[in-house]
Amino acid sequence: MEREALDVDVLIVGGGPAGLSAALTLASLQQSRGGEPLAIAVLEKAREAGAHELSGAVLDPRALAELIPDYRSAGAPIEADVHEDRVYVLDAGGKLALPLIPPPLRNHGNHIVSLNRFTRWMAARVEEAGIDFFTGFAGVEVLWDGTRVSGVRTGDRGIDKEGRPKATFEAGVDIRAKVTIFCDGVRGNLTKQLLAKLPLAEGREPQQYAIGIKELWEVPAGRIAAGTVMHTLGYPLRMEEFGGAFVYAMPEGRISLGLVVGLDYRDPLFDPYAAFQRLKEHPLVADLLAGGQRVKYGAKALPESGWNSIPQTWMDGGLIAGDAGAFLNSFRLKGIHLAMKTGMLAAETAFDAVRAGDTSATALRAYQDRIDRSWVREELYPVRNVHQAFNHGLIAGLTFSALTVATGGRIPLRLHGEPGHEMMKTRAEYYGSTRGPIAASNAVKADRVRTFDKVTSVHFSGTRHDEDQPVHLLVETDVCYSRCGEEYGHPCQRFCPANVYEMLTNADGTKRLQINASNCVHCKTCDIMDPYQVITWVPPEGGGGPQYDGL
Amino acid sequence: MVVVIAEQRNGTVNRASWEAIAAGQQLAAGSPVNVVVAGAGSEQAAKELAAADVAGVIAVTGGPVEHYTADGWIAAHATVVASVTPQWIVLPHTYQTRDFAPALAAKLDRALVTDCTGIKTADGKPAFTRPVYQGKLAADVRPLGEAPWLVTFQIGAFRGDQAKRGGSANVRTMDAGVDPSAVRQTPEEPFQEARQAVDLSEAERIVAVGRGIKGPEHLPLARALAEALHAEVAASRPICDNGWLPMERQIGSSGQTVAPKLYVAVGISGAIQHVVGMKGARTIVAINKDAEAPIFEVADYGYVGDLFEFLPALTAELKK
Repeated sequence: MEREALDVDVLIVGGGPAGLSAALTLASLQQSRGGEPLAIAVLEKAREAGAHELSGAVLDPRALAELIPDYRSAGAPIEADVHEDRVYVLDAGGKLALPLIPPPLRNHGNHIVSLNRFTRWMAARVEEAGIDFFTGFAGVEVLWDGTRVSGVRTGDRGIDKEGRPKATFEAGVDIRAKVTIFCDGVRGNLTKQLLAKLPLAEGREPQQYAIGIKELWEVPAGRIAAGTVMHTLGYPLRMEEFGGAFVYAMPEGRISLGLVVGLDYRDPLFDPYAAFQRLKEHPLVADLLAGGQRVKYGAKALPESGWNSIPQTWMDGGLIAGDAGAFLNSFRLKGIHLAMKTGMLAAETAFDAVRAGDTSATALRAYQDRIDRSWVREELYPVRNVHQAFNHGLIAGLTFSALTVATGGRIPLRLHGEPGHEMMKTRAEYYGSTRGPIAASNAVKADRVRTFDKVTSVHFSGTRHDEDQPVHLLVETDVCYSRCGEEYGHPCQRFCPANVYEMLTNADGTKRLQINASNCVHCKTCDIMDPYQVITWVPPEGGGGPQYDGL
Repeated sequence: MVVVIAEQRNGTVNRASWEAIAAGQQLAAGSPVNVVVAGAGSEQAAKELAAADVAGVIAVTGGPVEHYTADGWIAAHATVVASVTPQWIVLPHTYQTRDFAPALAAKLDRALVTDCTGIKTADGKPAFTRPVYQGKLAADVRPLGEAPWLVTFQIGAFRGDQAKRGGSANVRTMDAGVDPSAVRQTPEEPFQEARQAVDLSEAERIVAVGRGIKGPEHLPLARALAEALHAEVAASRPICDNGWLPMERQIGSSGQTVAPKLYVAVGISGAIQHVVGMKGARTIVAINKDAEAPIFEVADYGYVGDLFEFLPALTAELKK
């Protein structure tokens, strides 16, 4: 097949905070150092900048201030400055406010932002800097020259359901680069290919993830002051489930409400989405939302396992930054600043390497040195064991967290974690029987005012895909029929927050897995959490996916 | 003065164009309306359009303006606009309009307001209502800058049968003099897909089936009802996903948006994704066994019960 090819010096895959910070850093290095300009390209699978970005989000402005010192006057879309932190422990009907805010949850000096608005603003600056920013193009395959990364292939367009080219067919483009910076986000499909081919994760802790489910609400004015940040522990989660909720108040009665749940829960019938609905029924949240309206919905996985799980992020011709490399501080519930900073450090490394004419692993290893000398290590190393401590339960996690704060992280230990999908118990193990009904153990009946069914929520993510394209969730379905129903009761139906997976009953009583691929919000949870690891998320046709705005 | 850019195929004007004329007449508020129609067959279409209460109909022909191309349409309509100097340019929000209207606006360097559902007038100046947040909210917008302003209207927002008729429109043909070398696209025969596609947005009556129909073997029940009503058959997504009906018959956010006079929802629960595609229907009849199904919130008439009993009875009654 004939393909177009494009040669650049630096290719950045992913137009999130990491990728765009890398692009802006390259542009400013170009300007300050002069010389022959580098050819730079940024790929983004969303139809428009920021449309696939979702976070809480409370932004620590440390990296932003380094990248764009005058960010306030330059119009960075900051919704509010944090002026008050509150932390609660919830049970089914009540709440206990912590009298003292634990240090990692103190947000003075931080900003509440909408990540997709923030990203859109950054993308506009990238384009102003004259960098080619290609939206609607997903990287589907790493191009190799032996074990050297030589670029990325973008997805074909115009393929029908059966895999046949349609009249609108366009072959993907091979973009060859001297250095490719992978910023493809949590469980990035290209980073996954890197980890499969190269021994980058050797000796590291396994990756562990959580899923964040979030809504944007508009509530009557005066309910909660803009700049208020609330975090909760406990209900709707049980002691055995890791996670917590957040409420971030913005002006004009806009509220970001979300629940983060560790993708290492035991109960095979647990449903993170249902837990989120329950959260909204708790008096603390229900009082806040009363009379308000849900205007947006979305979900995204996040990498939680920290410093010891970060893979080797440099290789011949390639670097990894941001969530793709697990640069997130789960202790502080923050990753945007680390994504930005690692993007900036990767760009500096790539720039020097291209200029020096050596983009081998030996040259790109300088990225690791930059990380080690920067505040990225300073911030992540002391809390390297915290998430793993939570693997042993909430009490163990909180105790270890307190010790970490007390000692400044000087505990000479390496706590190990297990991949989250291995933590899920079978129905027989968890319930002692497989006779019960296969339904969410924490199901909630939607009242369609405050709580909603998944299909309705999907509509509020704005997600859209061309229906006539191959299913982008590759599932080895044998195990679905032979084992999964009996063993785990098809947990895909529950951990997916977008109703992509549905087990239907045929006329003859047999089961059939229906994959509603066009519901997908690109959160990656299925790729992570399925207990047999038979689901592979691949990018759908470029431009498909959620249309987040204000999330 | 208002210019309406109409669409025709093989000499037949589509319904959306009549709706655009109705919108144009309201917007003109008494000032003259001219209709422009281009392409092979436009002279015949112009005769049909002359039945409208408009000042004139211009059939644009000649050279590359035979079959639709974006470049050809942009050049031809820019020439027409330059010669008739309208205040407003009104278009139906069809696929073709979506293809060329933004570029036409850019070429004219004038503002474009798309996908409008209504016209409001305040302080003597019109404002256009258009959906935002996927139809969750409606915004009233007013184009800025100098005239002419371009406005496209959503299909079904106006009623074609309410376009005022009975004028004595002056029909003329115009060779827009488009330079063939300036047209970068070469039109081919319409694709197989396009030729087969059902434009449900043009249907006056629709019988739509959902999951409640249980299996493809029961589709004849819906077909019989559709036949009795002279209606098109459509479906919600699960039916098309299962391949029981072709995807081109899907109504909703990932299918077509329709606004027929009558919409019969058979065994459709009324997921919001479906409702956004049909809530503009004038009369909605819902048949569902679940009294709490959200479809009843948008229905004008509802029947709670077994569709397998109700459909044959209804069809038999209609045939009498």
